[in-house]
Formats: sequence, structure tokens, C-alpha cells
Amino acid sequence: MAMAREEVYQKVKDVLVDALGVDDDEISEEATLTGDLGAESIDFLDIVFRLEKTFSIKIPRGELFPESLVSNPEYVEGGRLTPKGLDTLKKAMPHADFTKFEKDPDVNQMSNLFTVKTIVNYLSTKMAA
Amino acid sequence: MKFILLDRIVSIEPPTRIVASKSLSLAEEYLADHFPTFPVMPGVLMLEAMVQASAWLVRATQDFSRSMVVLEEAKNVNYKSFVSPGRSLKVTCEAIRIEDDSSEFKTVGRSPEGDEIVKARLKLRHYNLADRNPLLADTDERLVEDLKRKFDLLGGPSALKMAAALTNTI
Amino acid sequence: MRWIWIDKFTDFQSGVRATAIKNVTLAEEHLHDHFPAYPVMPASLIVEGMAQTAGILVGEARGFEEKVILAKVKQARFRREVRPGDQLQYDAEIENVTPEAAMTTGRVSVNGEPLAEIDIVFSHIDNNMSGLVFPEENFVFTEDFKSLLMNYNVSTSAAGTTS
Repeated sequence: MAMAREEVYQKVKDVLVDALGVDDDEISEEATLTGDLGAESIDFLDIVFRLEKTFSIKIPRGELFPESLVSNPEYVEGGRLTPKGLDTLKKAMPHADFTKFEKDPDVNQMSNLFTVKTIVNYLSTKMAA
Repeated sequence: MKFILLDRIVSIEPPTRIVASKSLSLAEEYLADHFPTFPVMPGVLMLEAMVQASAWLVRATQDFSRSMVVLEEAKNVNYKSFVSPGRSLKVTCEAIRIEDDSSEFKTVGRSPEGDEIVKARLKLRHYNLADRNPLLADTDERLVEDLKRKFDLLGGPSALKMAAALTNTI
Repeated sequence: MRWIWIDKFTDFQSGVRATAIKNVTLAEEHLHDHFPAYPVMPASLIVEGMAQTAGILVGEARGFEEKVILAKVKQARFRREVRPGDQLQYDAEIENVTPEAAMTTGRVSVNGEPLAEIDIVFSHIDNNMSGLVFPEENFVFTEDFKSLLMNYNVSTSAAGTTS
């Protein structure tokens, strides 16, 4: 089922408008879900369900928004991801852009990895498969 | 229980914004059911506080010209934390638009320390009963009389005066 | 004022859907404040009626193990006012359940006519809110709520119906 990236982006925008109550023009590919769009943890669940419905796919837990890495002491030290942690996270999120985050992998900044682009990349890959 | 979910209008700037607060007390009987051993303000009563605050802004802006100001739609009502007895909820409602028959608000409820407890997007509709049934014009009058009394209880008129004074000094 | 906003279940399909009804009566105190000259059922309390119908549906599906609480009202839209003597009917359906949360859709009708759509996300708080400590026992599902379900089961087995 091939869908042009632009179409995926539009549908993702529609989902975010409904789930987060933001206006369409507040959304850009670079926008972070928590920082720019005000998403909270309960919204993440809502977003995943709506994406599953919109794109008729199954999104296994943790595949789009990996969660439990921070609880593993091997991956976190002094509030930052260790090289091993960073590596594991990159493997878990091939759809995210790490260029900014890897310069200073502060655990509190992890949510900035979740941008609109991250979602669009994930879905484009998933649907091309 | 009295169905007034606000205790005080902190500030009011028609047609833009209203800030009001609700203090929670264990004296409020429904808390015994919500929940036993863990009394907290029900989420829908936080919603009601935000609806009531928004409605006061509409009424003050429209000079109480419509007796009925009710919730038409609530969207993206997110609950982030709890309000326990002895604590309070400060509600801020920003009007996106206030038109004759309807209005829209972005509302947030915060703890005294400023942490977000709840937020919601609200749409209200406003009308007079006489619009649908001219025989109810008397009822509209009685509704407005009672509403003005409640507005007074909440400190509305003095909050309005303060806002006017501030605009005049600018 | 009690915090029970439904009167009776009229249908209950475990893990799938449930229907509950609520009578609106002047015997209820809050109507006398909302509003004194013209009582109407507050929309926020209609949301609570749906939250209780859907919440019990979700709770029962997981054996009342988790504390199911209201986390998000995705949307709630109301067509008109509800008055004393009206009867509300709440139809809730489970859309999705995970260990951390549940999503339900719902329709409310008044005297058989469509009134509202209310879609809710519940959080299973023990599995969710890190840092907050809750009492051990499940304070959400009180005996009052559980007996609403029991009365439904009793009345349907007495009538010989199966669901």
C-alpha cells in the first residue's frame, strides 16, 4: 500500500489536530509533540490508537514511542544516556533524527526526539514494507 | 451540595480573560464517594468550574443579556493531577471568540504553585428561553436576577471595577 | 449529594458494551442551583454518567483489578438541555484496552432522542502515574458500583435472558 509522504503528513496532521486540540497551522514537520504541541503522556496513547485506525496498521507498544530505556541503569548515568544507551535508543528509533540530541543526550530532552517528522518517517517505512 | 463550582472571581477582563478559584473542602459531601480513602475533586467538577468561569466572562461581556449560557462542546479535556481537600484550583479562561449566540475558550486549571492540573477547550451556547417560547420571558428575568446575585457573591462587580480602573490608568 | 450518576444497567456485555439509564428528578439538590428558575441537568454531570457507565465496563473487563480513572475527555458534544422528568440513556463501547489505559466511545440519548456523543480515555493509575502513592485497595469501584452490576445480573437471570 503505497502512500505519498505528503499524504501521510496530511493525515498525521489531522490526527494531531484532533488528539491535541491544536490548530493545523501550528504543526510543522520539526514541531516536537511535547514541547511545541503540548502533548502529555495520555495523549501519546490517544495518538497511537488514532494512527492505527487512520492507517489501518498495528503499532506494537514501544515501537513508535519507546518508553522503558530510561529505567535501565546501563543506559543512563548522571542524567545522560551512556554511549550504550544512545546506541540502543537509535536502534529502537530508526525513524527519529538524532543529530541534535546526540550532542548532549540529556534524559530530560529525550521527548524532543518525538517530532511530527518522526511519526511521518515511521509510518512511511511501515507502509512501504 | 450547592452547584457553584467557584468561590471567587480573581480577575475579569471582558471580552478577553477571566481568572477564578475554587477551594476544595472535605465538608463537600460527594467526596465521601470520590473516593473512599482517597478524596479528590472529580474531574467533571473541574470541568464544571471551567465552564462556570467561562460563562461568567460571557455574561459580563454581554451584560447578562442572555439568561442561558451552557456547555455545547468540550474537547481535549486533559487531566494531569489531582486536587485534594485543603487545596485549590485556579482556573484561567481565555476567550478565543465571544459572539452573540456562542463562544469558545481555552481553559486551564492550575494548583496554587502554578502546576497544570487540567485543561480544556470549551464551546458555549447562549440564548434566552423567550427565543423559543415568548411565554418564558418572565423566567429569563428571574434567571438573570439570580445570576446577578451569584456574580455578586463571587466578587464579580468589584473585579470588573478593578479591570476598568486598570484600563483607565493606562 | 451522592456521587453516583447512573441508576441501573439495562444491558451489559462484558468487555464489549454496556447501557445504563439515569432519571433526572427535582429531588436532586444540584438542579435547584442549576438553575433556580429553570432546572437543567448540567452537561458536566452527564459526562460523569458516561464516565461511570464506561468506567464500570472497563473495570469489569479487567476483574476490577485496576483503579480506572478519568484521564481525558476527547470530546463531549451536547445538542440540547435535559430537564426534570427526563430519562438519560448511556451507551458505552470499549474501543481499546491496554495495561495502562482504556478508550471508550459513548452515545447519550434523552427520552429516546440523541443528545450527546462522549468519548473518553481512562488511565489505570497504578500502572501509570509514577511518583504518586495510592491506597492499596481499589477505592474506585465501591460497593455501590459493584451492586449496580450485581442487580443487573440478578434481574437478567430472573427474567431468563442471556447476553
